[in-house]
Amino acid sequence: MNDKTELVENVDLPEGMNPEVLKHIMYPENYGKLETPDGTGVAMDEKTGEFVIFTVKLGQESIEDVKFATNGCQDTVVVGSMFTEMIKGESVEYAKKAISKIEEKLGTLSAQQKICADMVFNGFIASLINVANLAQGEKEEMHVIKSEESCEITPQGEENE
Amino acid sequence: MNKLYQIKHELWLDILFASFAVNDPVIKERLYDFSMIAFRHMKWLGGAILEAGDDYNYDRSKMLLKRNCNFDIFKYLIEEIKTAQTHYDDNVLMARISTDESYLVEYLSALLSNSANDAKVTAFNMHRKLPNKTLDVTQTDSLTIFLFEESYKEYELILVYAYMQARTDNLLHFNVFQDLIDESHFHLKSFGNMMAQMGILALPRELHELTYKVTDIEKFIINGIQEEENAKEECRALAEAVNDTELSQFFDFINYQENYHIELMKKLLK
Repeated sequence: MNDKTELVENVDLPEGMNPEVLKHIMYPENYGKLETPDGTGVAMDEKTGEFVIFTVKLGQESIEDVKFATNGCQDTVVVGSMFTEMIKGESVEYAKKAISKIEEKLGTLSAQQKICADMVFNGFIASLINVANLAQGEKEEMHVIKSEESCEITPQGEENE
Repeated sequence: MNKLYQIKHELWLDILFASFAVNDPVIKERLYDFSMIAFRHMKWLGGAILEAGDDYNYDRSKMLLKRNCNFDIFKYLIEEIKTAQTHYDDNVLMARISTDESYLVEYLSALLSNSANDAKVTAFNMHRKLPNKTLDVTQTDSLTIFLFEESYKEYELILVYAYMQARTDNLLHFNVFQDLIDESHFHLKSFGNMMAQMGILALPRELHELTYKVTDIEKFIINGIQEEENAKEECRALAEAVNDTELSQFFDFINYQENYHIELMKKLLK
């Protein structure tokens, strides 16, 4: 983690792209999968095949560990990286409210970025549902929430940050 | 899952990204050739694993570490090759892999014996400028995002098609997968070298198995065609946005290549 931060902090970035965003693109936090998670959840866009998958490990009062992976766009990676960084070690209740704090960090999200953020959040929620379902004795490998909107290429002329 | 396959996967990336990071054009090309040999090692090893009734995945555990000079890269590669070789069994495939790698170690050792081969590595300096190009902030940001998006996508395509190729008995499909893999290697090489020139070289993120364990090939191909269309649009928009003849021509060239990818992919639907 420190090594990743140093890569960005020890250099002078030119103006333009938010250095924190660039850091999350180049070295996403909590990316991958937990080997023995308590729950696994997927947000799936069936139209495009894009997904965000979360694995979580819950402690008594906090999210002990969390990882995410996606085949989606860089916006999804950035939001997933920021979101998992914010919620790791925090309570589930805090995590459920945390996605709105991403907006404070990134500024106003475009419609496309909002869909990416929803995919990330739904992937996380799906992992919590999987935890609950498994606790009730259900045999569910992973819980899937299907996305209602697609993060597709921005039409020509529309702003795409 | 097969640990040796993971080691070979990571070694392919080590050599490939070393070729992107080094500025000397002769050493760069030589390392790239070795990386392609390492990719074939991976392919042959994957085939042998499947033949033995085992399986492999694309999990990784290594990051791309920032290196300050060529010699640090060469020393690192030698160490990684020697570590990998401690995992090899005694069989014909591993003997072939081992002799290829030993030759690379000899080449790297020869480079290390001449201080003229050392140079500062600029691939990680984050300056986000291309040599002899004047791009404004918006153009630079667009190019940066494009390179991260597309380098991941090309890496993903190489591995997904290789995974499917290793599991098909259909000759037409096998050949189409090979063409698509070759095309993506070229694109990844182009984008990787451009990222290094801009000082933003980074490994594409790891693939989750949901990406490559495809259960519905038809749906996968239809989605893939849509992605190619999106990539074409990204190239077209970038070619227009960069306002530089040489760069615009390059992105148009990539855009037109996507047209034929779509035709190749349609063959998989027959």
